[in-house]
Amino acid sequence: MRTIRIMIHLMVILAACHALPADSVKAADPAASSEIEKSLIEVLQSEASPAEKAIACKKLAVDGSSEAVPELAKLLPNEQLSSWARIALEAIPGEESSEVLRAAAQSLDGRLQVGMINSIGARRDPQAVDLLIKHLADEDAEVASASAVALGKIGGEGATKSLRQALRSAPHGVRSAVAEGCVLCAERLHESGDSEMAVEVYDEVRLADVPQQRIIEATRGAILARNQGGIPMLLEAFQSPDKKMFQLALGIVREFPGSQVDQALANELANTTPQRAALMIQAMADRSDTVSLAEILKAATQGDKLVRLSAIDSLRRVGDPSCLATLMKVVDDDDAELANAAKQTLADLPGDKVNTEIVAMLPDAEGENYTLLLELIGQRRINAVEEVVKTLDNANPAVRKAALVALGETVSLDRLSVLVTQAVSPRFPEDASEAQKALRVASIRMPDREACATQLASAMGQSNPASQTILLETISEVGGSKALQILAGAAKSDSPGLQDNGSRLLGKWNGVDAAPVLLDLAKTGPAEKYRIRALRGYIGIARKFPMSEQQRVEMCQQAMDAAKRISEQQLVLDVLKIHPSQAGLKLANQAKLNPELKEQATATAQAIAAKLKK
Amino acid sequence: MSNKTKQVPRRRFLKNAAAVAGGAVVAPTIIPSSALGLDGAVAPSERIVVGGIGIGRRGGYDLGCFLQQKDVQFAAVCDIKQKRRGEVKQIIDKHNGNQNCDMYRDFRDVLDRDDIDAVLIATGPNWHATAAMTAAKAGKDMYCEKPVTKNIDQSLILADTMERTGRVFQAGTQRRNLPHFAFACELARTGKLGKLKKVYAHPAGMQALMSGWLPAETEPDPDVVDWDMYLGPAAWRPFNKKLLDGFNFEKGGGFVGAFRGGGVLEWGSHCVDLCQWAVDDCLPPVEYNTPENGELVARYENGTELIFREKGWIPLGSCPVRFEGETGWVEAGDSGRMVLSSPELLAGREVAEIGGYPATFHVRDFLDCVKTRRQPKGNAVAACNAHIACHAANIALYLDRQVNYDNVKHEFVNDEAANRLRSEALREPWRL
Repeated sequence: MRTIRIMIHLMVILAACHALPADSVKAADPAASSEIEKSLIEVLQSEASPAEKAIACKKLAVDGSSEAVPELAKLLPNEQLSSWARIALEAIPGEESSEVLRAAAQSLDGRLQVGMINSIGARRDPQAVDLLIKHLADEDAEVASASAVALGKIGGEGATKSLRQALRSAPHGVRSAVAEGCVLCAERLHESGDSEMAVEVYDEVRLADVPQQRIIEATRGAILARNQGGIPMLLEAFQSPDKKMFQLALGIVREFPGSQVDQALANELANTTPQRAALMIQAMADRSDTVSLAEILKAATQGDKLVRLSAIDSLRRVGDPSCLATLMKVVDDDDAELANAAKQTLADLPGDKVNTEIVAMLPDAEGENYTLLLELIGQRRINAVEEVVKTLDNANPAVRKAALVALGETVSLDRLSVLVTQAVSPRFPEDASEAQKALRVASIRMPDREACATQLASAMGQSNPASQTILLETISEVGGSKALQILAGAAKSDSPGLQDNGSRLLGKWNGVDAAPVLLDLAKTGPAEKYRIRALRGYIGIARKFPMSEQQRVEMCQQAMDAAKRISEQQLVLDVLKIHPSQAGLKLANQAKLNPELKEQATATAQAIAAKLKK
Repeated sequence: MSNKTKQVPRRRFLKNAAAVAGGAVVAPTIIPSSALGLDGAVAPSERIVVGGIGIGRRGGYDLGCFLQQKDVQFAAVCDIKQKRRGEVKQIIDKHNGNQNCDMYRDFRDVLDRDDIDAVLIATGPNWHATAAMTAAKAGKDMYCEKPVTKNIDQSLILADTMERTGRVFQAGTQRRNLPHFAFACELARTGKLGKLKKVYAHPAGMQALMSGWLPAETEPDPDVVDWDMYLGPAAWRPFNKKLLDGFNFEKGGGFVGAFRGGGVLEWGSHCVDLCQWAVDDCLPPVEYNTPENGELVARYENGTELIFREKGWIPLGSCPVRFEGETGWVEAGDSGRMVLSSPELLAGREVAEIGGYPATFHVRDFLDCVKTRRQPKGNAVAACNAHIACHAANIALYLDRQVNYDNVKHEFVNDEAANRLRSEALREPWRL
């Protein structure tokens, strides 16, 4: 019986909840809304359960008016339903709601009273200021604290004055909330244009006996409200031995207006520890509109290593072409960490103008700078192929290597032939390996892989067997249907070398699309060893790639038919075992007819049947 | 609420700060690791002392990400459940090789500790905003799980409070620190897709997320389960153990979520957040419509559409987003993969494919920002704007009609019913 009652109870609550969407659509219509409100008030007036009354309160937050306020007010002393009633009362506009919250704030005590005061604060009820000022001196610290914060939210002359007085006189346990209220008042003063008064309030909190976090908030406000006049105070915060105050200053720098502060910060770098200077530089670099690049560059080139590293790193975000020469100099630094940081920053320096400048510097560059610029062209993927190609004849192998790497990263399809030539017939034989690598890098990233494979294939015609192998391997890495077709052609060509490479690369092909090609080669390949290799590649595809059950079994059937040796047939049985299915079981059973396979086929069939049963 | 006119917050600074945080594809090396104390052994003075609040399943995962960091010292755990307090302490003590992790039932006791720099807040969503703001006022930085707020007003107050208190806040929107999502957002933000026309988010359900008032059961000893603290700022209801696990009071938007809508926020706090990043973290949309054919269309001031779409996604895993411009598009999901309208959009770049939406990078971003005081990727302003978009969409769903939002006045235009849904009273004694 009890269970049934509970179920009915739940159904009532859920029904009440689910009824709301339809009601809410009507809520745009005042007459309908009034009807809804009437029925909700009736629930509050009835002997309905607390759950139903709670839901009614929640609905009244949307559909309630002053009519509902008296009934909601009756629930305010109810410990269970007080907060539900306040949900509605906070939302219903008008003096009636404010009045009952104020009345309850005087008649209730403890937590419930705190709730009323919080709601008054949320509604920013100006009529409640006197009441809240009275409660500011309440013996209950929670009530006094809630009143202080509510006064801060409401603001205004009376609230501000009382809070400032309380900052000196309030008991210790309440003073934090009073300071919070003061900061809220000061914020409003500042926003309304009265920065002078705001500063006064902030300063009083800064000097008061309140928790450090309140002082931090007041200091932040005091600095920002002073505008440019706040710079000395900001620097004071930077100089503070207190870590939290230093951290506050780091945060404020990111929001401080104007450009005066940038120079002030730069000057301050010399007066602080390397650890702090490193953090300050990061903050300076976040001021992208006014950052003093010259100062950061200076820090990047001299002084403590930690500071230099920070400065070099920060240039990744705010650097420009003017930083290039300095950073290139740091790349030569004996300290590998500094040199590497500079290299990284050079690769990341923002903006196209940096790219233009790097290319412009190339013709006049010498020694290691020449190599560095080529590396940057590659890392930044700058389109400067013609300029880079010119360097392929350079006598310095390091320069040529950098050029090839850069071309690998930047060359487009219409200039891929440059790398093909370098890969198959390099002017300097020692460049061959690097050129082949670059060709591979370039070919793989080509958006049109079919066109890329075609171009590489056409180069094969004029190449010697070793070069053909290189090109074929590159084609294989490019992938796509054209590449597959080229490999198939090679595997069935008259050249033993191409047959070998073609079948080898097809066997390693990473996709189901190679299956028909491999099956064909397994059946019609030019030599037994390539037919076996192709068949094994075909079985490998059935084994490792996701596909439908039907397709996999069909492939296994084809492989079984094409296999002339027990070893490949056994591989097929392995596939069936790994991917169990009814159709696969049938195929395994058929394989039992072959005496040489019978034992493994039986074991496979049993394993499949066992897996299918689970 | 209706008597209150929210002042225009100090957004010009906040916007800048958010832009600074969102500027790079992958989190920059904010500062050399040696400066952050990450090279070799970390000196005690360089460690960030962290306390955990409400470490359940999700929090346990986050905890693991924090413990991986060499400069973190996890010193305390708080939970209203005795059993879980003990379990989490064991994990932390085992990691630290001692028995020093302190346990608390009331999170304010954690906040009272001067030695704790930051807190991980992974309670149920009912508590997120209240706990975060209480922590900020106590001078703690925080990593706070999502959804962060229950309504529009909480979102605005959260952003203002973090600014006022100067705290570092990171919402648990870890996809902001994953390379493929960051790259997709960068394409949209920097005009690589042409003029941005539509950004799509997958809300994974626009249905009700119902909280309830279940029949009363005998309330446990508060030492075992502190029901009053569990309810916290949520309106009172009797103890029922079914409400203890996986239950989130009005998850997804205060009043709205209790009845209808609300679902938008659960995943929206991730995917709408990414859409917000794609539109350069601008203010939220100004117009929200009711769903048609599984699509709820919202419009930004500049005409770009934010579309909450249920179906039609390329299978790229959960939490997909899609950004469409005049010349190209990109779609990305939790598999770590993305699909581009043209491979040329990659411009030769390699974007790491990190699937499974790990939070490790996001936690690292937070810790770095605790030291540098930069704004992390999931800062309070970014979270505020994304959450407002979700809450407003929920309100349109609940009212079953179009609503228009004014980003300057922070209210719906000539719409009292919608405006009443912007906030909700907290249970005593809690306040924001």
